[in-house]
Amino acid sequence: MLNSNIDIVSAIESKLKDKVQIHLGQLGTATVDTSNGLHRDVLKAMMEADEKTTITAITGLDLGANLGVLYHIRTSNAFITIRTEVPKDNPRIPTITHLIPGAVFGELEVSDLFGVIFEGNLLSGHFVLSEYWPEGVYPLRKDVKANEVKLNPPPAEITQPKDKNIVKIIVGPQHPALLEPEKFAVTVEGETVTKVEPRIGYVHRGIEKASESRTYVQDVYLVERICGICNACHAYGFVSAVEKILKTEVPPRAKYLRVVDLELNRLHSHLLTLGHAGLEIGYETLFQYFWRDREPIMDLIELISGNRVYASLMTVGGVRRDLKDSDILQIKTTLENLRKKLPFYRQLYENEASIKARMQNVGVLKREDAIKLGVVGPVARGSGYDIDVRKDEPYEAYGEIPFKEIVYTSGDTLARMNVRMDEVEESINIIEYTVDHLPAGPFRVDVPRNVPAGEALSRNEAPRGELFYYVKSNGTAYPERVKVRTPTFANIPSFLKTAIGGNIADVPPNFVSLDPCFSCTDR
Amino acid sequence: MIDFDLILRILIFPGFTFILLLTLFCDWMERKIEARLQNRVGPMVAGPGGILQPLADFIKLLTKEDIEPRGVKKTVFKFAPLLAFTVMVFAICFLPIDGASVLSTTGFNGDLILILTFSTIASFLLFLSGWASCNPYGTISSARVLTQFLGYDIPLFLLALTPAFIAGSLSIFAIAHQAIPYILLAPYAFVVYLIVMQAELEKDPFDVPDAESELVGGVTTEYTGAKLAFLHLTRDVQIVFGAALVVELFLGGPYGPVIFGLPAFWYSLWFVLKLLAVVIVTEYITTLFARLRIDQVLSANWRILLPAAILSLMLTVALVTWVYPLV
Repeated sequence: MLNSNIDIVSAIESKLKDKVQIHLGQLGTATVDTSNGLHRDVLKAMMEADEKTTITAITGLDLGANLGVLYHIRTSNAFITIRTEVPKDNPRIPTITHLIPGAVFGELEVSDLFGVIFEGNLLSGHFVLSEYWPEGVYPLRKDVKANEVKLNPPPAEITQPKDKNIVKIIVGPQHPALLEPEKFAVTVEGETVTKVEPRIGYVHRGIEKASESRTYVQDVYLVERICGICNACHAYGFVSAVEKILKTEVPPRAKYLRVVDLELNRLHSHLLTLGHAGLEIGYETLFQYFWRDREPIMDLIELISGNRVYASLMTVGGVRRDLKDSDILQIKTTLENLRKKLPFYRQLYENEASIKARMQNVGVLKREDAIKLGVVGPVARGSGYDIDVRKDEPYEAYGEIPFKEIVYTSGDTLARMNVRMDEVEESINIIEYTVDHLPAGPFRVDVPRNVPAGEALSRNEAPRGELFYYVKSNGTAYPERVKVRTPTFANIPSFLKTAIGGNIADVPPNFVSLDPCFSCTDR
Repeated sequence: MIDFDLILRILIFPGFTFILLLTLFCDWMERKIEARLQNRVGPMVAGPGGILQPLADFIKLLTKEDIEPRGVKKTVFKFAPLLAFTVMVFAICFLPIDGASVLSTTGFNGDLILILTFSTIASFLLFLSGWASCNPYGTISSARVLTQFLGYDIPLFLLALTPAFIAGSLSIFAIAHQAIPYILLAPYAFVVYLIVMQAELEKDPFDVPDAESELVGGVTTEYTGAKLAFLHLTRDVQIVFGAALVVELFLGGPYGPVIFGLPAFWYSLWFVLKLLAVVIVTEYITTLFARLRIDQVLSANWRILLPAAILSLMLTVALVTWVYPLV
């Protein structure tokens, strides 16, 4: 892979040779050290060289006197980290949202948690923190003790908006269409949506901060709690980043067992969403069918890990449990049963008239918008934007396993659901191949408790898309910084765009086609 | 001189109590059918097979706190649910159930128009109850109720006239009391009627007014306690009414073979059986489709169902005028 991405690094070099320092092989393909403001030129150079340049995440760092801002940029074949610093007493940095609109949430989060001011970002105010959070306290800075923060008292009376002509439908924080607390204020004219204002953070648990006061072993279980559905992907994201710092080579059997866990995760998550979409369009029967067929997959997760929901299979250096031959047989039988049911479901999602009426041409996201907004996972692949970390940067055993990358081009809700439908089948194929080709040998290696100073990032393809982890260590048993960018966080900006102009009845199916997971988004 | 027989007929059979029990039974059966079609078990606990569940739900709601939020239009908010329920039950009283209607007479020429009007009034009261609750979900849902029933009332009336044309009368008794049920004479009208009725009753795929993923509880969002209980009951009675009207118009009403003993018993039995058959069919339709969008619901009405209703009426007129006299 490294050979084919020389072009992007040399493109940066040729344009800004004397102004930036490029460290190849650090934090992705390369790290580009720039001064404040110059990061935009680097970004521009990258965007000119590769049309698929977009942002994955923005990481804030507390470096003592300065605050570090790391832009993690992905291109079609490379992953570049642009590193820049701002002084703590004047933490101002120009925004990049005019280049990549998808960066808006990332910037808001860093300004909320670190106090970095992104000049030119049009949105302002608290994004993940409470409205009553005290001014000037930025929780992820090292001098803030989490248990000493005192919230402002809430106002005695909540003022009602004056303008009576505008009807605002509040979707959330408590709403039947959402399974988790999140608020979208949808302004409607008649039945047409004219504006969507998001507010996340209702279940912000401060996991990034909490992880700094726990050991690496404890953190594996902590980050798993970020998301109940894609818990294996979160645990994997963390342990693989730590393994990169430790330079640990995981035994081959563990690599395969991890793939089984990750794919079972994807399988049950996709079945969940395919069913949930039915519920959102009033098709309860579809919902009940999918969730019935999802149950055996949950049993399989229990079979391989001992736990039905939180698998806790991943650990630094391998996996916790081995797979018995009898288990393999049961996995194959269950998957075979599921495969037999797939043609029926596929035919439903392809031909059923009322599903088509509600999903076709609803929430269309064009390919160029998908890239600009930095969407990931099935949302991107439904819009013809082919990113799949399993293919682009194969991790664990994915490089050795044959599978197809599913891409649909129409970009509507139906396409996103059909991507998942096809991926269910691919996942079954992957798991079957994996258990058939399970290498012998140990399934875990021992690792030291103290992790040497260093930093690493890890990306994996969670069911909802690219999941990003950044871990910085300081030589102790506790990490210095853990940054998580969940796929839903990257996908929500696209919803704000596609919902506008649509019918209010299109909001739930469009939204559920992102497979949103708010606990992930909030962390 | 008090007519005890009439009081019994109004209060017990085939009046209020019978209609209420039938409604609760239909509700249970709908839930059970839907559950079985969806691989679930449905109500199980209250009574054998959960048959008392609708009653238990109703009583539970009656015992709940009755909240009246600030800003609602009080009078309408209070009385619309009760009035809607009353109007629906009153409409059913005009249908022949045990061979005659509740009031013992078999109606008058034109009672078909009357009960169709009653059902429209009930829909309008449901709209009012949501509108009066001054809640954005309730308001939008109410607007949808209004647009939907205004649209669908037209094909419904036209299709209800099809059997009336064949019978040559606007009296429900005359329409129902026929040797050949009209489903055989005008099957085309029956099929279209079933679809239109699905929309009138706001059931899937036309249940846009209470699309819970968009509008939470629809018109009932702000309602609690007894008022909510009556709103739910109104919905259930509406379904019974809709099915009963199908029975009267197309399936020959309560009339069928009397094998022995009292005709009233057999007539009631036929009525209930036919009604349950209609409910089963509508419940199947409900289970098999996703919910349409309001614009799709409306265009389905104006582009497909209304022309179909007009065509069906024209066909019927032609048949009655030129074909049936030959047979």
